[in-house]
Amino acid sequence: MGRFLGLLVALVLGLGALGVLAQEEDDPVKEAEKQKQQLLEQSGGILPSDLYVQQGEELFKAKRGPKQASLEACDFGRGPGRLEGVVGRLPRYFFDTRRVEDLDSRIRTCMIRLQGFRPEEIRRSEVVAIAFYIASLSNEKTMYVRPLLPQEKQLYELGERLFYLRAGPRDMGCASCHVTYVGRRAGVLPYSDLLGDKRVASHWPAFRYSNDQAWTMADRIRACYANLGMPAPDFYSEPIIALTLFMNAQARGARMDLPGFIR
Amino acid sequence: MRRSYLISALLLVGLASGQPGATYITPELQRLIQAGGQNYANVLLKQAPDQALCSIHRNRLPPEVLGPFIEEQRRLIKYPEGGRLMGDWKRGEAIYNTLARGNCFSCHAGSPLNIGGNVGPSLEKYGQRGTSEAVQRYTYEVIYNPWAYFPCTVMYRFGHGGLLKPEEIADVVAYLLDPSSDFNTKPALRR
Repeated sequence: MGRFLGLLVALVLGLGALGVLAQEEDDPVKEAEKQKQQLLEQSGGILPSDLYVQQGEELFKAKRGPKQASLEACDFGRGPGRLEGVVGRLPRYFFDTRRVEDLDSRIRTCMIRLQGFRPEEIRRSEVVAIAFYIASLSNEKTMYVRPLLPQEKQLYELGERLFYLRAGPRDMGCASCHVTYVGRRAGVLPYSDLLGDKRVASHWPAFRYSNDQAWTMADRIRACYANLGMPAPDFYSEPIIALTLFMNAQARGARMDLPGFIR
Repeated sequence: MRRSYLISALLLVGLASGQPGATYITPELQRLIQAGGQNYANVLLKQAPDQALCSIHRNRLPPEVLGPFIEEQRRLIKYPEGGRLMGDWKRGEAIYNTLARGNCFSCHAGSPLNIGGNVGPSLEKYGQRGTSEAVQRYTYEVIYNPWAYFPCTVMYRFGHGGLLKPEEIADVVAYLLDPSSDFNTKPALRR
């Protein structure tokens, strides 16, 4: 099965690469839509993100880890096993861990608690695939992240402060580009309007057709730091969760496009 | 809550009349950043007072902060030994057009070698300004420390941040100003 999936991925991605060479639209949303249609036509209706979703579903339902348990009892905020729309309310506070968790860190929590994995045994690629599966069950649902509990409000405020923080040899800060230079380009894509455009934070996790990557919001945040020569915050760490909470709350009311399909 | 953060941050800044000792990172924010890992925290927690001011004011400094801020930024500028502000345009070309060095083309249009971005103003045919001492000095200083002219701009403070040596900045100045530089003799690449 794994090999078949790999071949299928390679095939679809190869076709995708051909598509990328075609004439580009100026509007990145329109361009992504065009690429998506081309890929769908070439592959007979399968997107690379569908393969991640399928892989994630298999991982989610399989009995794995030292405890030989599936993740089906994992509570993403609506109760054990209830997955529809949960991405629209993450990050949120969980009483069992006494932490605000995002999609990635909640998956990790359940892999540790339900399946008995040690933290260092958790493979990033598996978390991403499972995130794609759960995201697929929130597609077209509404983003309604709203910090309500004190822990959520506090982390939201810290996320906002971190968003405006500038540091490092390049004076890096999220807001310097994503507020001040919205719509301008440094490279291929214009800077997205994180505060004004609700679509921006409501399409993660997403498949990036230009370089065949499956990314969650954590990967996106880490790449932003890395692009400016900054060390990125660790996966599953609080700075990532705080920034995600701040950004997702800006997207409140958006109809989620999941998994996203972007350049 | 947010207001109380802001007020306490402003108090710290205000006491020092807008310059040294400005802090943005509260104890809570410090704990959050430390949770991101050692390497991450090492860079973020070293936030300098001028970076703190830009963070506090969300990149728009109020009038009472602006004056002392610009003065301080001007004081940070250092010049090449010997004082030559225009170096070798060929070396400057490589710096301007390399992502891991100057990366100038990513934000500015004008290079004949790379399609430029539009985060910064177009520099197409920048050499039309001539090579007077004033033009050389302005160009050098903006690259060495853009915050001396455009406080809190996104453009890297190449000299102050240690990203380019003074002599390398002089090479970029030559790339932009030298009448024989490809930057001025060849057409800019367009999208």
